Amino acid sequence: MTTGLATRPGGAPRTAQRRRTVSARRGALHRKEARGAWTLLAPYLVLLMIAGIIPIIYAIVVSLQKTPTNLEPNLTGFSGGQAFVTAFTDYRFLGTFANVFSVLIIWLPLMLVGIVGLALLVHASPGRFGNTMRFIYYIPGSLAGVANLMLWVYLLNPSQSPIGGLWHALGFETIKAVVATPGTLPPILTAMLFFQGVGTWILIVNGGLNGIPDEIFEAASIDGANAWYLAWHVKLPLIRPWIGYAALMNLAYGFQLFLEPYLLDQVAGGALPDQYTPTQLGFWFAFSNSNFPAAAAMSLVVLVITLGIGLFIVFRSGLFGEEEK
Amino acid sequence: MMSRARVTESELSGAVGSRQWSAGRIARIATMLLVAAAFIFPIVGFVAVAFRSNEGVANGTDGFLGLGGLSIDNVMASWGQIMGFGGADNRGIFLQWIGNSLFVSIGGALLAVIAAIPAGYALARLRFRFRRTVLVITLLTMVMPNTVLVIPLFLEVNAVGAVGQLWPVLVIMGFFPFGVYLSYIHFMTTMPAELVEAARIDGLGEVSIFFRVATPISRQAIALVAFFAFVANWTNFFLPLALLTSNFNAKTVSIGIQDLIGSSPLFNPTVAAGLDVKLYMPQLALATFVTMIPLLVVFIGAQRFLMRGQTVGAVKG
Repeated sequence: MTTGLATRPGGAPRTAQRRRTVSARRGALHRKEARGAWTLLAPYLVLLMIAGIIPIIYAIVVSLQKTPTNLEPNLTGFSGGQAFVTAFTDYRFLGTFANVFSVLIIWLPLMLVGIVGLALLVHASPGRFGNTMRFIYYIPGSLAGVANLMLWVYLLNPSQSPIGGLWHALGFETIKAVVATPGTLPPILTAMLFFQGVGTWILIVNGGLNGIPDEIFEAASIDGANAWYLAWHVKLPLIRPWIGYAALMNLAYGFQLFLEPYLLDQVAGGALPDQYTPTQLGFWFAFSNSNFPAAAAMSLVVLVITLGIGLFIVFRSGLFGEEEK
Repeated sequence: MMSRARVTESELSGAVGSRQWSAGRIARIATMLLVAAAFIFPIVGFVAVAFRSNEGVANGTDGFLGLGGLSIDNVMASWGQIMGFGGADNRGIFLQWIGNSLFVSIGGALLAVIAAIPAGYALARLRFRFRRTVLVITLLTMVMPNTVLVIPLFLEVNAVGAVGQLWPVLVIMGFFPFGVYLSYIHFMTTMPAELVEAARIDGLGEVSIFFRVATPISRQAIALVAFFAFVANWTNFFLPLALLTSNFNAKTVSIGIQDLIGSSPLFNPTVAAGLDVKLYMPQLALATFVTMIPLLVVFIGAQRFLMRGQTVGAVKG
């Protein structure tokens, strides 16, 4: 190492040499650091490839292929997007999106009011009472998926439900009548999704509220703000990013609805539309119709929609990337 | 200064948690209790169904929420029916399904931890090209519902001829971008960059720094990633439905319950007529309740990490 000598003043050539050595060393260190980073990332990147990137690329490839038929079971080759035409012109295609909208239009506003309202109530209740309530609101969220469905099978069955009186008053005598009468499905799905989802979001928004420095509330109190004013004019504007995040995440969730309409159909003895949502239609293409190109095309449509929403969340919600700036 | 602080405190408590029963306070507490009741009563009533008899449930007797008709004998009788499901060749298939669920859920969660902890560390504390790209892809895959990839995943697994086997499900479940994000936030907030720098000066390599310095302080992140991954895997329905439906013995319990529903005389009299087990609401509720037990166990186990973690409040995918 000659760097020790290079600190002597007046040695211009030596200083330049030192700079070169230092930058070369720094470069080597950076390379070492980058090599370490990629080594540590390797297991995750392999999984990202297997379970994320490759299936998407493969779905694009499949969606552009020809569909084998009974006459030509080994038919392959480039079809020029025929599968997309099949999916788009399917008589159920627009209907599935209309169904999703009919659920979203009731569910999303209710969900946001519920999340924000309950999170603000919990935040206005410090101490044991607030903590207990927050825990209770979270409990239904642990009944995700099939468990939540079975719970609702119990609630929707007029002869067994604790709210059976409601169903009888509406003129429903069987669970089939409750779920298969036209127009009942969007509110029922809304209730199911709300029950399952609201608790987790209360936790998240509450976490956001807890992150706000107490001084802000104290200052508002000194200015004479009451609890209502504090919630509406101080807390609500401050948690706007979380509200936007909740809205977008739930919007994306709405487009991939599958389990609830799929299993309710089974519970109703097949009386519901079999392909109520876009994901159900994609599932039907793959498993009932064996039309893999159309199934791939359908899944790419939903993928592009949720990807668009996802890009919006990541780059516009203001919740991510703070540490990058 | 002192008096000022005291005023602040009393005014604050006046606004937030006053001792007086003002109309606003009564309304707040009443609303919260009402919502809590609306959340709790259905769950109590549903769990109670698992402890009741077929007759009691069908006739709607047993009193308030059916709590008057609970007995262990009912549970034993219902469990016998569940265990009888599967016919002569596959008796006790329900236990096999639970075993399958445990296998893919635990295996998937382990894989998620092994992949997510070092990845989160590298993204948080190391500088390299495309770091931001990897981070953005991780965030994107985290905020997108994982069901949107299921049909592409089915096509991929089908192409390698592994549909109906458990290991592809386990591997796919190991991909858990939310875990990477949790780990990333963990190292961002708990591990100062100077610590990494100091370890470098001590002559440790990048990978050894992760194992000798970062791993020992990542218990919180490991617990959270394992917890969230396990819960997500255990309740996952669409992925096993697409990949495992074709193999009766390889099903996970979430899609196995679908078989039970499909065999119930309540919803499918024609199929059920041909079966020697009769699955009514108590049996279905009991099967569901059994599938909730592992979730309760991990929830209780992870509770102290969940309560401590600011990261949970931050963002959950």
